[in-house]
Amino acid sequence: MKTIRLTVSRFDPELDDGPRLESYTVDINEGARVLDALQAVRDDIDATLSYRRSCSVGQCGSCAVRVNGRPVMACKEEATDGMVVEPLRLPVEKDLVTDLAPLLKSVASFAPRGESTAPGRAETESIKPLRHCIQCFSCVSVCPMLDVAEFAGPTAMRQKMRLALDPRDARDRIPEAVEAGLFHCTSCQACRIACPEEIATPALAIEKLRALAVERGFTFPKHLEFARLVRETGRSISFPGPRFLECVPEVVEPETAARCTVALFTGCLYDLVMPETAFDAVEVMRRNGIRVVVPKDQVCCGSPLIRTGQTDLVAGLMEKNIGIFARLGVDAVITICAGCGTTLKNDYDTPFEVLDITQLLVRQGIESPARLPVRVTYHDPCHLLRGQGVREEPRELIRQAAELVEMPAWCCGSGGGVRAAFPEEAKALALKRREEIEKTRADAVISVCPFCEFHLREHAGRRVQNICTLLLKGYRKKDRRESH
Amino acid sequence: MTSPETTDCHVLVIGAGGAGVRAAVEASRYGETVLLSKAIAGKGGCTPMAEGGYNAAIRSQDSVEAHLRETIESGAFLNDPILAGTLVRNAPERLRDLLRRGAVFDVTENGEVAQRYFGGQKYPRTCYAGDRTGHEIMTTLMEWLRTTPVRVFHETSAIALLKDGDAATGALALDRSGGLLLFRADSVILAAGGGAKIYASSTNSASGTGEGYALGYGAGAELIDMEMVQFHPTGAVHPPDAKGRLITEAARGEGGILLNRLGERFMVRYDPVRMELAPRDVLSRAIVTEIREGRGTANGGVHLDVSRLGPAVIEERLPVMLEQCLRFGVDIRREPVEVAPAAHHVMGGLRIDPLTCQTTVEGLYACGETAGGVHGANRLGGNALAETQVFGAIAGEAAGKSKPRASSIPEKQVERERRRLDAFRTGKANPYALLKRLHEIMGEGAGIFRNETGLKKALLEIDRISRERLRAAVPRNLADCCSVRNACTTAILVCRAALLRGESRGAHMRTDADAPRNEERSLFGHTFLSLSREGIERRDRP
Repeated sequence: MKTIRLTVSRFDPELDDGPRLESYTVDINEGARVLDALQAVRDDIDATLSYRRSCSVGQCGSCAVRVNGRPVMACKEEATDGMVVEPLRLPVEKDLVTDLAPLLKSVASFAPRGESTAPGRAETESIKPLRHCIQCFSCVSVCPMLDVAEFAGPTAMRQKMRLALDPRDARDRIPEAVEAGLFHCTSCQACRIACPEEIATPALAIEKLRALAVERGFTFPKHLEFARLVRETGRSISFPGPRFLECVPEVVEPETAARCTVALFTGCLYDLVMPETAFDAVEVMRRNGIRVVVPKDQVCCGSPLIRTGQTDLVAGLMEKNIGIFARLGVDAVITICAGCGTTLKNDYDTPFEVLDITQLLVRQGIESPARLPVRVTYHDPCHLLRGQGVREEPRELIRQAAELVEMPAWCCGSGGGVRAAFPEEAKALALKRREEIEKTRADAVISVCPFCEFHLREHAGRRVQNICTLLLKGYRKKDRRESH
Repeated sequence: MTSPETTDCHVLVIGAGGAGVRAAVEASRYGETVLLSKAIAGKGGCTPMAEGGYNAAIRSQDSVEAHLRETIESGAFLNDPILAGTLVRNAPERLRDLLRRGAVFDVTENGEVAQRYFGGQKYPRTCYAGDRTGHEIMTTLMEWLRTTPVRVFHETSAIALLKDGDAATGALALDRSGGLLLFRADSVILAAGGGAKIYASSTNSASGTGEGYALGYGAGAELIDMEMVQFHPTGAVHPPDAKGRLITEAARGEGGILLNRLGERFMVRYDPVRMELAPRDVLSRAIVTEIREGRGTANGGVHLDVSRLGPAVIEERLPVMLEQCLRFGVDIRREPVEVAPAAHHVMGGLRIDPLTCQTTVEGLYACGETAGGVHGANRLGGNALAETQVFGAIAGEAAGKSKPRASSIPEKQVERERRRLDAFRTGKANPYALLKRLHEIMGEGAGIFRNETGLKKALLEIDRISRERLRAAVPRNLADCCSVRNACTTAILVCRAALLRGESRGAHMRTDADAPRNEERSLFGHTFLSLSREGIERRDRP
């Protein structure tokens, strides 16, 4: 047995204006779960505590709650001292019990054609991963789009795909999915991370539904433009002005002996729209003894096409990029765009290691910059935090140069083709980020993704800077100091 | 006093597991149907948790006769032969109903529903969807339900059946805020699942406290074979809060072995031919004996060891078991997991007419685990999911086709329930603590090994704790008080039935039994219990 203290959100709409946090001290068994701790509160201290549970072994989806801000199944998550237990981010009925009735209705039902045979082996295997949903609605509770758009949400979309794959289902699910907001998803991956069954809704449902939709002609002119540009230029956007790839040398040598050699995958945005940031990244690497090879014939990674369902050209892009980078014989390929990074790591099958620039710099260890007299906050790019699982490295780097104040990680709104197709909704999400940024009272927002930087620059109301730009500022200050 | 909020319908279904939802979709073809679910419909009960599969004789090399024979052999020849026959004959067609409604079962290379071996069966007739067949069936049923006009009342607990003379006429229930609701119906279907949660170590969900048995008994219906409780041999033992968590039979099916504290593969002393694949009751008795005789592990179990299968096989075939054990600090690829029997399934239940599922109370039907007679003295794995579909459909159809009945609100019964609920508001005893004491009593006196003295002592103790006035701190907790009372009623039924059957049969082991076990030739039939009579049927006398 052991004693722990836990804080639980309490709210009785008949008595309270709003939720409040209450702390309890309980004795629990070794290995107890959050659910057991809640039960101890209910059994021994306060019988008015309301929470849901049924199977207690992670199969029914009843007991989803937030622990320390993250959705978990209370029966699976170990109880820890000091934990804060709140309901999912959904309308609350009482304490930890949320109103699920409208959500239960939002998931489409199978429409029988009438035959009683099973689908074939291939169809069955493709449907199976989508079938594991236990309707805990954790995914819905973390989807940023539901706050700002008419979007049916992750599990509803998962169901559309499950039905679209089933030859026995009588209805045409593609127009339904489009109608229900299929193209509103920003690919932020919050749903996949929150899912206790690890269903990869963006890859298995959203992207695949979009591919089927595009085949049927459901698409957006702006999305089609990406594909046209890739076909004609190898880049998904066009932008006037000098390109990074036209100006940067083939190989950038460090001043002292190179500690390692990497190749730089620039991505379309840094190449065409924000070349100065790419130069900053190269400079930081060069300064830290890293030789950087920049192949000039690299093309779009294909992400804008994969995320918008336009998959025809992708195999060709993959083959070309892998060919170019594989023959360089470098230690690793570095991405500076989080979207390229997640694509190369998760959609491609590369014979070389792919690292985000923040991973490279932390792994190699960097020269300490001078500290800058600014307070900054960090915006986690979804494609870096969730797409690649990289959370600590950017923070480690930022802390060397400035005071870092944290804010919760939510999508900025620009991914998944949403900025192009639904600019108002993308803006609405960015304005929510602005609210969070303002709470931190930071002078600047640091990020490490061109989409986030570009989009937040437009809406955040303060300076938005890439990590490498920040580090470089620190180096320049240091150099000035030392030259005096 | 104002009437409680009243809902009128043709068929009222109590319980939203596999049997209840199947009954509701069937009944809705004939008239207005209402479904009450203690949890959120689709999440409650044991159906969504079932990992084994659904038995059906669908291949030409198999036969319903073989399925029937194995069902009756497993049931120690106590099964009602018509019920068992109905189960095996209808299981294939009910499976096809599910497929028609979008069920995604595993399929073979040539597109047939895949089947695997399961305990006690010589032919692999257990259809499955990975290790989540129950979830698959429940998901399919809930989608089907949403296409019907059935009115679903989530988180609504039935607390008493209503009668008009001798016939069932509806039920009283509590909504999630503790408000009283009245449901008037032409017929009522009890599909509230089982009662294994009256034991401390149980594989069941929170609702497995025997609601259906208690509600039916209270309305005057007869129950049979309530002493027949199946203990699943491999429930988790550690950590304490995970006690009873089911560790799948597939672990043994794939080649896992059982070892005592001394590292002996002890089943060689109990069932040398079948070893770890012996029937569940044989295994459970063996494991408990090992523990009692001092050869159990530190936490009071035995070791289930799958490490000999190698990490690759474990990761592919036992992923859920691997993940669950890792969560609790045991890596089954390298070390054994401690297991001990956990109460799993009640074979007994309300006596039903084999053609209609009507109980001995007119207008009251029962199906699924709430009903008795299908499995006799011991259930075959894979037959329970089939039971929910076969008898859920039969009960739904029979209730649906029943005649409309004019009836009035039974004021006296409503008043009696209100008084009972009011008493909870001013009671003293903590219902959750009382349930724990019930667990201790049942584990002590009505577990796997029983004798007259122990059972009588248990009955006295349950009677004593039942007299304590339970306390509902807030109206929301009224339903919990009713559930704990129903758990006590169910426990009493189990103990009384265990006393009525002096012989050992199937899952029921009397250490003080006179005659040696001979199940096929036993002179005894069902035990029976109702408000008006009790006893045990004799097969040698009419």
